[in-house]
Amino acid sequence: MADSSWPGCAKSLKGVILDLCGVLYDSGEGDGVAIPGSIEAVKRLKESDLQLRFCTNETQATREKFVAKLQRLGFDISVCEVFPPAPAAISVLKERGLRPHLLVHDGLLQEFEAVEKTNPNCVIIADAAENFSYQNLNEAFRVLIGLEKPILFSLGQGRYYKETDGLKLDVGVYMKALEYACDLKAEVIGKPSPTFFQSVLSDMGLKPHEALMIGDDLVNDVGGAQCCGMKGVQVRTGKYRPSDERHPTVIADATVDNLAHAVEVILSQRGLEA
Amino acid sequence: MAGRRALKAVLIDLSGTLHIEDTAVPGAQDALNRLRQASVAVRFVTNTTKENKRNLLERLQKLNFELQEKEIFTSLSAARSLLEQKQHRPLLLVEDSALEDFTGIDTSEPNAVVIGLAPDHFNYQTLNKAFRMVLDGAPLIAIHKARYYKRKDGLALGPGPFVTGLEYATDCKATVVGKPEESFFTQALSGLGCSPSEAVMIGDDARDDVGGAQNAGMLGILVRTGKYRDGDEKKIDPPPYLTCNSFPDAVEHILQNLL
Repeated sequence: MADSSWPGCAKSLKGVILDLCGVLYDSGEGDGVAIPGSIEAVKRLKESDLQLRFCTNETQATREKFVAKLQRLGFDISVCEVFPPAPAAISVLKERGLRPHLLVHDGLLQEFEAVEKTNPNCVIIADAAENFSYQNLNEAFRVLIGLEKPILFSLGQGRYYKETDGLKLDVGVYMKALEYACDLKAEVIGKPSPTFFQSVLSDMGLKPHEALMIGDDLVNDVGGAQCCGMKGVQVRTGKYRPSDERHPTVIADATVDNLAHAVEVILSQRGLEA
Repeated sequence: MAGRRALKAVLIDLSGTLHIEDTAVPGAQDALNRLRQASVAVRFVTNTTKENKRNLLERLQKLNFELQEKEIFTSLSAARSLLEQKQHRPLLLVEDSALEDFTGIDTSEPNAVVIGLAPDHFNYQTLNKAFRMVLDGAPLIAIHKARYYKRKDGLALGPGPFVTGLEYATDCKATVVGKPEESFFTQALSGLGCSPSEAVMIGDDARDDVGGAQNAGMLGILVRTGKYRDGDEKKIDPPPYLTCNSFPDAVEHILQNLL
């Protein structure tokens, strides 16, 4: 009978999905810093027979820009392997004929260059960091409160993330702020939305039980993946906090020190020790 | 009304009910004077976080309203009481003008976060600082949680959205001291020798003024001025005791029906 729990479940896996920030690297000054062992871990996964994709809620820059940053840090990673929320958001806008008011990081604006933005009928918020000023939030609020059918898209719903100089508030905090102000519920594009995970699985041609997600965010990476039927492993790097291991509703399939350790276990289960 | 005692006190909201920015609601001054001629106590209650009691008094007197400073009860007063009670040293995220009402409170090495309406402080850096303090165990005290308020240039975000965001970020609940907390209304009535069932609240915010007051056992009258938007009366349960056009109409109703 196939082993359905960690680490035995690694034997029947066909693909691995990795979060970026907090798993591969910590963002911060300049390009940030690679997490020890992660560069080698990604290399080992690529050399194995497992399919590999990267699923991120990164929205401070376009996909091209942050993949280039990771390559500079030494990671073997290419644009077509990476799934961030912005391209998914643009598809949704097209499908539903929506024109967005954007509250995003300057680095993400380029992603929306070709999108019609005059006379907005929805608001998109992402990890805007310093752009989360009272004035900018007020502007977004006024767009929403002035719409008969207000629609708020939030690219992710994270509470905070880790940078080299400490924890910082993430988009989810401001999503909740606008939800409260306007008495509406935002639509989340990105983790932990099941549609988002599904798009990655489709690209890999895999069923959920054939894939495993590794992330530092218990609720959005691990919980989100588990809701889709995937296994979810949390690493103790990035935004991890000890209290995560006592969470009332999300229990990771495993909690490991870092990506290098996770990959070590996965590959040795499959008889592929280096 | 069976079981209801005669009215002894009227609580009146300020911004949006008696005035909007620097303009009085038409007829409000006369209505207030007529109310004073009846034998009810009057208290002016507000969640305004930018202005200290002295500012509020001056503004209202400039608009020809007759009142005394001791009749004003604000959420800043309520916050100060809590800080003194618990001996917290606060990081005060309030407008400079509000600081006057906290004179004498030790703010060195803060171990609590007090959050009011402070657009200048609600930048990413300062909110991150507050977030880290609360994550490390500092209590989060909210002056109030208003969703938005009406400014001359349109609607503007209140402190509520930011408090909600920080609660989500830290998985902690803020202690709210202003409307619509029950403690705010009962504190406002203290010293008047009457219970909530002998009082009525008049305000423009369905949830915070009317809902909060009725939850505390008072009657609530919703006025269609200030931040009122069509259909607000349907947003609370039970609905307002009365919805009327403005403060003078509310006073008329009280004089004819509740005394």
